[in-house]
Amino acid sequence: MLALLLGGSALAQETFRIAIGVDADSLDPVQGTTTTIDNIVDYMAQTLIGIDENGALVPVLATEWTTSADGLTMDLTLREGVTFHDGTPFDAEAVVWNFERLLDPNVNVPRRGPYAPIESVEAVDDLHVRLHLTQPSPYMAGALTQTTAAIISPASVDMEGNSYENITHPVGTGPYAFESRALGERIVVRRFEDYWGEAPYYDEVVFQIVPEATTRESLLLAGQVDMIILPPASDIPALDANPAVEVVFGPSDRTIFIAINTTKPPLDDKRVRQALNYAVDKEAIVQGILFGAADVMDSPMAPSLFGYTSIGAYEYDPERARELLAEAGVEPGELTLDFMSPTGRYVQDFPASQAIANYLADVGITANVRTTDWPTYVGTITQGAESNETQLHLLGWAPAYLDASQQMLQFQQSQHPPAGLATSFYTNPEVEELIAQANSTVDEAQRADLYGQAARLIWDDAPWIFLWVQRFPIVHSADVTNVSGLPNEKFYAIYARPAD
Amino acid sequence: MTSYLLQRLVGVAVTVLFVAVTVFLMVRLLPGDPARVIAGVLASQQDVERLRTRLGLDQPLWRQGVIFLGDLVQGDLGTSARTSNSVTVEIGARFPATLTLAFASTVLAVAIGVPLGTFAAVRAGRLADLLVSTVVLFGISMPVYWLGLMLIIVFSIRLRWLPAAGAEGPLSLVLPAATLAFFSMAFIARITRSSMLEVLHQDYIRTAVAKGSTERSVVWRHALRNALAPVVTVIGLQFGELLGGAILTETVFAWPGLGRLLVDSIFARDYPTVQGLVIVFALLFALVNLAVDLFYGVIDPRVRYG
Repeated sequence: MLALLLGGSALAQETFRIAIGVDADSLDPVQGTTTTIDNIVDYMAQTLIGIDENGALVPVLATEWTTSADGLTMDLTLREGVTFHDGTPFDAEAVVWNFERLLDPNVNVPRRGPYAPIESVEAVDDLHVRLHLTQPSPYMAGALTQTTAAIISPASVDMEGNSYENITHPVGTGPYAFESRALGERIVVRRFEDYWGEAPYYDEVVFQIVPEATTRESLLLAGQVDMIILPPASDIPALDANPAVEVVFGPSDRTIFIAINTTKPPLDDKRVRQALNYAVDKEAIVQGILFGAADVMDSPMAPSLFGYTSIGAYEYDPERARELLAEAGVEPGELTLDFMSPTGRYVQDFPASQAIANYLADVGITANVRTTDWPTYVGTITQGAESNETQLHLLGWAPAYLDASQQMLQFQQSQHPPAGLATSFYTNPEVEELIAQANSTVDEAQRADLYGQAARLIWDDAPWIFLWVQRFPIVHSADVTNVSGLPNEKFYAIYARPAD
Repeated sequence: MTSYLLQRLVGVAVTVLFVAVTVFLMVRLLPGDPARVIAGVLASQQDVERLRTRLGLDQPLWRQGVIFLGDLVQGDLGTSARTSNSVTVEIGARFPATLTLAFASTVLAVAIGVPLGTFAAVRAGRLADLLVSTVVLFGISMPVYWLGLMLIIVFSIRLRWLPAAGAEGPLSLVLPAATLAFFSMAFIARITRSSMLEVLHQDYIRTAVAKGSTERSVVWRHALRNALAPVVTVIGLQFGELLGGAILTETVFAWPGLGRLLVDSIFARDYPTVQGLVIVFALLFALVNLAVDLFYGVIDPRVRYG
């Protein structure tokens, strides 16, 4: 008890404190499922390839990568002179070991899917690694940017309380090394003095786990942390006006939509689904309910994804909605829909759902909004088609890495529940064909074009009420600078430093 | 006395076992596939199946139950599905925080509640009593969440005297303990007041007054001692409540205790941790109850254990 009271009171001179909302399920790169925690693991363990603020691929531990013409091998050149925090060298053998662990069925890897085409990994020499693939996988470079594929020291696997199945003390090559962790409380990392890249400013970074958004905000306003993520949405305008803090709207790849169950009448009629899209004033909801923390979708995917094309908008047009409903033979007042919405999962999700139900009422559709806890919610919407009684439900989808192939999982028959999470049960043979082609085309321009064609068809078929791309609010003290966001909902504060 | 204690401890064991069986069955009635929830939305079907096998969810219910109880008897609460850590380790890591908070708020609640209630009883019907009763009513009806936020705004953001959240250093204990103590304090004050009123009308008090004891000595030495029995019951119950029920306070102040672990685990469908926590809570409640009963003997010599 005494240790708890006194622990952590000896503070380092230069500490950067960040309040986050969730505790880590695991600090093992391969076991992660939460972007926030990946973000912390990224301080310690690095991937071969990274993404920059524009979503472009950039070298990290690999300096170059090329894919063969047939798309079946990928060659990577590794960075020279890199050492792990335990002093062992980073080399091709280490990379091979990490990939073998990533692919080992005995290790729990929730996001293994994209690596399934890797047949084997070969160390060509100390600084060259070759991936052998079972099929052309042009998205593989993107997949390597996921924290799941971060490289840890093979020598550390049975030290520091680690085991092959479960790493609790990640030893990587990052600018900061693991220092300590108090469950439910905080994770501390310390600057690694032999880091291969530019040295960060702060000696120590503390991630404090603060589940309540209002409390995170209080901590920042009281000067006890330097930065928070996800403040209470309704306070964003006030924070924006407060000179003591700065609000950064990180871009995001998370699309928020209402999935329409396309298997049951009258929602199997495209005109009814388009009518739903015309009926909702999305811009008004973004401004009035989300306090501007989103951008209305103009394509079935976020602009930060490779393969995105702007298509247009279903402008707010209730008259057009009524016409389409009439054409489809749906009389005003005749249609009642069950509308499920999570609460607190996405920015202002439930209030937005209620507003959407009001807009639907304007065109003569009764939508009964109800909410449940998240596991029940996921359980309900992922029932197979026969037993699935859901009609409308709000959902967010953030691709694991910034590639259209990840967003397109939502529009493929193979991903219908219970196998996957394409919860609108949408399918269109033309779209399937285009996606399959795009997923195995090596030529980038051609690949982007194929996704664009598929996106247009999907937009017209309207399996969703397309809503908005969420933004990722980060708030930091005006006393610090160099804080930004990456398009995959990660913050970028490694090189944060005091403002002048 | 020893046989009484043994008897009671057997009772505790039976209670815990009963709770264990009930909670085992109840968490399995929850809708939703835990393997899917834990594996995450992007996991492949094969990985979800593998996870299901690893968690034993592919076994028939009775079999899962037998394994669970077998492990429990050996003191093994299983492995957290969410974190892959031992549940005992997860609970152990947060137990000191919850215990510290519960202990500090109980001390605070008793230190203020008992004198306040006694004072009100002595001044029954007068202005002081009215004032105390108002504070008590306020304390009982104040939402913990709101009180916590108000304290943060005043003492952390405006005055900058105390940390707003977290568990670093003794100062960070002040706000959560005060918030949590408020309700208990009011409740204890109320019980003390009514218990004292009853005692003050009894013959031996009149005797004490008649033989010339000072008011101070009568109230604080003679009356309070006898009025405390119901108060101790309430304190015991409140302490039990604080151990398990501090969920809101722990959330508002980012206090790394068991209440928050319970909420996180329920949301993550982490069966082993939820089971483990409920069992630990049941055990704590039973032990606190036992301690209260034993304490009666200390304050009231008429209570004897046969």
